[in-house]
Amino acid sequence: MIKVEVFSSPGCAKCMQAKAVLKAISEELGQDKVTWREVNILEEMDYAVDLGVMSTPAMAIDGELVFSSLPSASKLRTELDKRLR
Amino acid sequence: MHTIGKLAQFAEVTTDTVRYYEKEGLLLSVKKTDAGYRLYDEDSVRRLRFIRQAQKSGFSLTEIRELLALKNSDAACCSDVRSVAIEKKLQLEHKIRALQVMSRALTELVTICDDESKPLDECPILAALETSMIKKMK
Repeated sequence: MIKVEVFSSPGCAKCMQAKAVLKAISEELGQDKVTWREVNILEEMDYAVDLGVMSTPAMAIDGELVFSSLPSASKLRTELDKRLR
Repeated sequence: MHTIGKLAQFAEVTTDTVRYYEKEGLLLSVKKTDAGYRLYDEDSVRRLRFIRQAQKSGFSLTEIRELLALKNSDAACCSDVRSVAIEKKLQLEHKIRALQVMSRALTELVTICDDESKPLDECPILAALETSMIKKMK
């Protein structure tokens, strides 16, 4: 099971649409294969710092900061496919 | 209108600081007297106080420039400023972590030095620092 975590702050308008597209990609692969969690950076600042998040939005996969800004849909798809193989 | 000296006095900075901010494009004098002295308006006073306050909050001059641009942009909104503040907080949290690691390392070094009367060439702190340097080089 792959764990995708998106770090952002509530009310970030520019993140909303991009997040929706990326969430749809992870859901396409099946919720039994990929879990999606949205992390409120203000509530989990310590965890974000643990992973090395320096700015938001950012994305971690399986507890590792993989994208320091939100990736394109194709980049996320490639990354998830690679991990599912 | 205020002279550079008065402006500096209002914001509790030196005139050199005002000149530096001006050179960096953060501040602008409104006009000059006939004798060529720079003059500043109330907006400059507010801007200078803003810069000082932001610096005290840990913002660099580059970040302050960004904040000032947001402040004067019609397209920007409060959430843009909030994002800059959140990013700054993240950076500070990282710095705090790094400083805590350094502090713990220093505590360890102070602990191993149990005899302050030792000669300098037997100082365990210096020896430990030297050893860690050698380890890093290997």
